[in-house]
Amino acid sequence: MRRMASESRRSQMLRGVLDLCLLAVVVDEPAYGYEMTRRLRERGLSTVGEGSIYPLLGRLEREGLVATHRAASDGGPPRKYYSASSSGRRALTEGVRAWRHVRGEVDSVLATIEAEVGE
Amino acid sequence: MSAFVEECRKEWRRLGVPDLLAEEMATDLEADLAEAEADGVSATEMLGESDPRRFAATWASERGLVSEPAPQKKRRRRFWPWILAAFLFIVIVLSWLALQTFGSSGARSAPPAQVTPVAVTHAPSHRVVVPDLVGERRPAALASARAAGLAAEVRIGTAGTVVRQQPAPGTSLRRGSTIRLFVARR
Repeated sequence: MRRMASESRRSQMLRGVLDLCLLAVVVDEPAYGYEMTRRLRERGLSTVGEGSIYPLLGRLEREGLVATHRAASDGGPPRKYYSASSSGRRALTEGVRAWRHVRGEVDSVLATIEAEVGE
Repeated sequence: MSAFVEECRKEWRRLGVPDLLAEEMATDLEADLAEAEADGVSATEMLGESDPRRFAATWASERGLVSEPAPQKKRRRRFWPWILAAFLFIVIVLSWLALQTFGSSGARSAPPAQVTPVAVTHAPSHRVVVPDLVGERRPAALASARAAGLAAEVRIGTAGTVVRQQPAPGTSLRRGSTIRLFVARR
């Protein structure tokens, strides 16, 4: 029960910043869907919680924050590659600024609370 | 083609996603899931979702490929006409009631002395105006009273002409009311 509650909190917190994470992994080099999942995992975000990256990618595409193109993958079928567009880069910079601001505020409120961070 | 992707295709077809785009999404998803599986990641883990129809619908909707709005919006849209209809109905009923109250109270508050024959034609049919019967012979006076929708009670003589009447001519009375006629003895 408590595990479910903490899962849900994690999902909710991620929901506000997952689009930034996706933009962050394609800002330097384009990637196709699963490749983005892999990059997130390599950087320490193993699961994205409830829902998946696909609907979010769909929204980013619709809003013009990512550009897409189709290209052959290494030894696989042609894939749809995503990369951050110029407005996507701007959104990323603004989003990261907002995230750090909020994170700082929340941290300063919660700083006095002792808690162990475990995996 | 995995069962999950096949279910997604069906859902996209049902939602009217253009074939070309649905095909593209299905192909990409299929390739991604195969690659994830090779890494030891299950489809449910990778997608955070075990219901293909819900997954497919959310994806298509977020991409803006579905003309149908999200379920919540749809429900709200369905509610509006009913709220509007109920509101209009209440307004109509209230204004009808207001008219009724205003109309009948106006008629009731009008003093009897001011009721003129002109006003009579506009008065509600359940009220009648007492005719002037003075000077008329008894049978004619009784007939006139009946024609006006009134009953008459004759005082004193049984024949002759009406010398006085109660209430006065021009008074508004409820239909079927009784007026008194004073008839002179012959």
